[in-house]
Amino acid sequence: MAASSEDGTARWQYLNHIRKTKGPFNPPTDDEDVTPEMLDTLGKSTILVIGAGGLGCEILKNLALSGFKNIHVIDMDTIDISNLNRQFLFRKSDVGKSKAEVAAAFVERRVQGVKITPHNCRIQDFDEDFYMQFQMVVCGLDSIEARRWMNATLVNMVDEENPDSLKPMIDGGTEGFKGQTRVVFPTMTPCIECQLDLYAPRAAVPLCTLATIPRQPEHCIEWAHIIAWEQEKPFPSLDKDDPEHITWLYQKALSRAEEFKIPGVTYSLTQGVVKNIIPAIASTNAIIAASCCNEALKIATSAAPALGFEDNYMSYHGDEAIYTNTFKYEKKEDCAVCGSLSKPLEVDPRWTLQELVDSLATNASAQLKKPSIRTDSKTLYMRFPQSLEEKTRPNLEKTLREGLGLEEKQEIAVTDPAFPALSFKFFLRFT
Amino acid sequence: MLKIWSMKKEQQKKDNDEAAAGGKKKKVTAAQLRVQKGTNSALSPDLNELSLGSTMTTEFPDPDNILEFILTITPDEGQYTGGKFTFSFNMSPSYPHEPPKVRCQQKIYHPNIDLEGKVCLNILREDWKPVLNLNAVIVGLQFLFLEPNASDPLNKEAADDLRQSRDNFRRNVKNSMAGGSIRGVQYDRVLLK
Amino acid sequence: MTEIVMSQTPPILHGPSDKEKKYDRQLRLWAASGQAALESANILLVNSGCGTVGVETLKNLVLPGIGRFTIVDEAVVQNADLGVNFFLDETCLGKLRSKCCTELLQELNPDVQGEWFPKQQGTVELDQVLLDSPTYTLIMYTMPISPKDLAALKEYGQQHHTPLVAIHSAGFYSYFNIQLPGTFPIVDTHPEAERTIDLRLTKPWPELAQFAEEMTKDMDQLDDHEHGHLPYVVLLLHYLEKWKETHDGKLPTEYKAKLEFRETVAKSARTNNPEGGEENFQEAVAAVNRNIKEQTLESTLAEVFSHEASGNVNVKSSFWVIAGAIKEFHKKHGCLPLPGGLPDMKAQSSVYVKLQGLYKAKARKDSQEVLEIAKSLSDGRDVDSAEVDLFCKNASFVKLVNATTGDQDLKEQKANDSLAEVTMMPLSLFPIYLALSATTHEPTASVDQIKASVHSRLPAAADDMRVVQACEEVARAAGGELHNISALTGGMVAQEAIKIITKQYIPIDNTCIFDGIASRCQVLRL
Repeated sequence: MAASSEDGTARWQYLNHIRKTKGPFNPPTDDEDVTPEMLDTLGKSTILVIGAGGLGCEILKNLALSGFKNIHVIDMDTIDISNLNRQFLFRKSDVGKSKAEVAAAFVERRVQGVKITPHNCRIQDFDEDFYMQFQMVVCGLDSIEARRWMNATLVNMVDEENPDSLKPMIDGGTEGFKGQTRVVFPTMTPCIECQLDLYAPRAAVPLCTLATIPRQPEHCIEWAHIIAWEQEKPFPSLDKDDPEHITWLYQKALSRAEEFKIPGVTYSLTQGVVKNIIPAIASTNAIIAASCCNEALKIATSAAPALGFEDNYMSYHGDEAIYTNTFKYEKKEDCAVCGSLSKPLEVDPRWTLQELVDSLATNASAQLKKPSIRTDSKTLYMRFPQSLEEKTRPNLEKTLREGLGLEEKQEIAVTDPAFPALSFKFFLRFT
Repeated sequence: MLKIWSMKKEQQKKDNDEAAAGGKKKKVTAAQLRVQKGTNSALSPDLNELSLGSTMTTEFPDPDNILEFILTITPDEGQYTGGKFTFSFNMSPSYPHEPPKVRCQQKIYHPNIDLEGKVCLNILREDWKPVLNLNAVIVGLQFLFLEPNASDPLNKEAADDLRQSRDNFRRNVKNSMAGGSIRGVQYDRVLLK
Repeated sequence: MTEIVMSQTPPILHGPSDKEKKYDRQLRLWAASGQAALESANILLVNSGCGTVGVETLKNLVLPGIGRFTIVDEAVVQNADLGVNFFLDETCLGKLRSKCCTELLQELNPDVQGEWFPKQQGTVELDQVLLDSPTYTLIMYTMPISPKDLAALKEYGQQHHTPLVAIHSAGFYSYFNIQLPGTFPIVDTHPEAERTIDLRLTKPWPELAQFAEEMTKDMDQLDDHEHGHLPYVVLLLHYLEKWKETHDGKLPTEYKAKLEFRETVAKSARTNNPEGGEENFQEAVAAVNRNIKEQTLESTLAEVFSHEASGNVNVKSSFWVIAGAIKEFHKKHGCLPLPGGLPDMKAQSSVYVKLQGLYKAKARKDSQEVLEIAKSLSDGRDVDSAEVDLFCKNASFVKLVNATTGDQDLKEQKANDSLAEVTMMPLSLFPIYLALSATTHEPTASVDQIKASVHSRLPAAADDMRVVQACEEVARAAGGELHNISALTGGMVAQEAIKIITKQYIPIDNTCIFDGIASRCQVLRL
């Protein structure tokens, strides 16, 4: 054997050879040689993985074998038997344990020298200080809501005075033989919210069809789920992972189907409809997770141009031959997250809210004559509807700092009927 | 690491972007922003004059949470005149990707509202689109009191009554609004006076 | 081990079996039949070089539960392996890579059997392994490979009709090439549900026509509720009959006639209601374009019919017997057997269920007729009725892979590229294939050696700027695999292997090239 396992030279020879050798597609201006110190920066950066499921397991493996040494992973889920056909870091004996913990321990055991810190909780449990420690975020999520939250958090964290506040976000998603990878440089390139219309909302059937004229097995299952459950409340609350609850719904749906002579209600279909199960396989996760990590490696090392500033989205279709579409998704000007970044607003902390409102009308960059104002948790003043206006009117008399408890750098959102499609965000700068 | 920051500075120079944000506090979520904008346009006085008239009011139990409110409808036309109906509105953090959840808070006799208060209105479910706003939903609810729809009901008995005899249906509506029973189901009293 | 997952309704109070639970998310894609095919598959990987891409592929096949796999690999585990291959750890250093990877892969799924060669460090006689092993369902080999081993695999593939997959991953590039044993037909192609609908509106069978006639005979007398719940199939059949009366028995299949017909249907809706129209009529209007058209054969099926006639088919598999029977059915009736599905539409439950029953009964009848024709053909005695049912259901979407012989070449790719600005198509990845495949036997070749090799194969290509760049990028990798590119390629190869083994969905024909710099693929027939 050539080198000891402590010596990374032999172990990382394939990766480092490519990193040290310039290729024809590296930017021409980037002419400095890659020194051993520069090779080492990869090991010194800290990267965050969101999700330790189908994509997450693959992402952890791929990052560990891409030379990342400090990895954190967040997942609040526990391991279910139906994960085992693709979440390859888990075994049958792990069912019921924390995904983040089992996955982190497995990859640490397998790949020497990598440190993976698991967080068995929700992403919302952490604040910006926590997220500030990472250089990059790779998401392998199955929920739109979590993606939107992470995206908004990373966009909002960008601070003009702090270069480290800009964290590239790489996001993967799969469904059956299909999937997509996208790269977001928060505030610079289109964000997840800009692309929200790429998610088709789940097709729904009219309630009245469920209630009176069911025709499909799915109609009977939805009826059991939405109507019968609520009328009969067989258990205190519906747990979609409890087989007893699913069995109850299945039997309800089955007897309704028999009543209307509708064929096709099965346990598996019941489970699929109620839990909105999306088919998932190992190979698709492998493709999308590896694509995400390939972009992460390219961004972290500049070894080759990455997605982001030109093309920023790759969609993959594997059911009919193989087809990829790699394109540039455009930024949405009126994006609720990155469309209007907050601007500084100079205010005297001793002003009343009324004075702030008046100043918005005369402020050259705002010119908002009928503003309504909120912070993230407090309605300061809403002009419409009437009931809300009455309730918030007393706030107009209060002073900003003493009366309303506003602090320096507090963000406020302002809307105005003159600009129905826009909202303006400011952060307070006390004079 | 890719030299992202210098690229950002260059991009800003190009866009002459004075947008700036320094170490900020917690942010306003996308859903809240949409509702804030939505309430502005949906309930602005000009629209009040146009379509909402004086038959509707809103109430925010917690003014700091604009994602939950109560809408009161007091129809001044149609069979439900003289009644007062309240609906709870609830917008999840996924709004407007998902429609608002709307429930009638009284047990009422109406072909398109079931005894639990669920409402069959296309834009609350199958036809919801993120570009729709609360105004569309409110107009839709108002319409249900003007024109109850007998085909494809949620309350099948009420629908059958409406189809078979408008007079009978009208009597049942009056009776139910006064807190009476129809076929063994007792309805909530919703009369204004 | 080979217990077959049943797809029938589980008895009440009995949930799914452990196996159904474990494989739930994939059974929703390829069902019990696909799973059974996977579980009886026996796969060989001939591994070499950095050795990661093949092992990553196997991982994605072991997880969904293939029957067994074998790894042939002479390498002994080095330190460099541990920086790129996840299915090795510190304890493997100095041991046989084939054995170590087999053991760590097998650990992923206790239902899968693993085997490895050689048994002791040294060389392996691939011929002997092939001779001694049970027949392989599919063989994969990675680059670099010796010309001798390559010849042995190709010969085996021809003899046993075994699909061969060549895989090459180096640096940011990869490609894989699938050699299928002759024409490869697929019945269960999983087309989008809405494409498969055949309502037979232009050619209703008597029971359907009668059903529509009865429902619409006193249409104007129907009350609003009933009128508003006539299924759109019934409405369209009714108005088509009326249309024919005033148009010399012709159907509105031309564009202009269709517009006019749509107008007629739209105008017939009642508007004396709060909505000012009827949903079922809206559905009818929307269904005109898709459902009222001359019956034409899908090009893929036409290809099956002509292929069948060309006598190119030497093995009379059940596929070709059924294809022959359907061809005869088509000749006799002027249409294909009815698939039998009915989309959801506004209707009363009982009416919809009745209508659905009509379509199902007709589909059964057609399928029965095809079965009878098939049984009367030579080689058709043992044709299975379930296979006929499936074929009839999917007839329009049956696909032949590897049926053509015309390969794409550089000239054609360059011609396409010169139009790229107009057609908005991305540039060809053919240069990557040229450069990478030039290192099939010499992974660490220099730029000049790679260019020379390309030149000797395709003199015209050697000076092309994009080919030169690809050669430089390939030389840069010096045969080293990047884990991400190999993991990604392993995912793609596994998807294709699953499609070939289950005979579901549509495999590529026949080479997929991946560019990890631009992050995109291209499939070419080479």
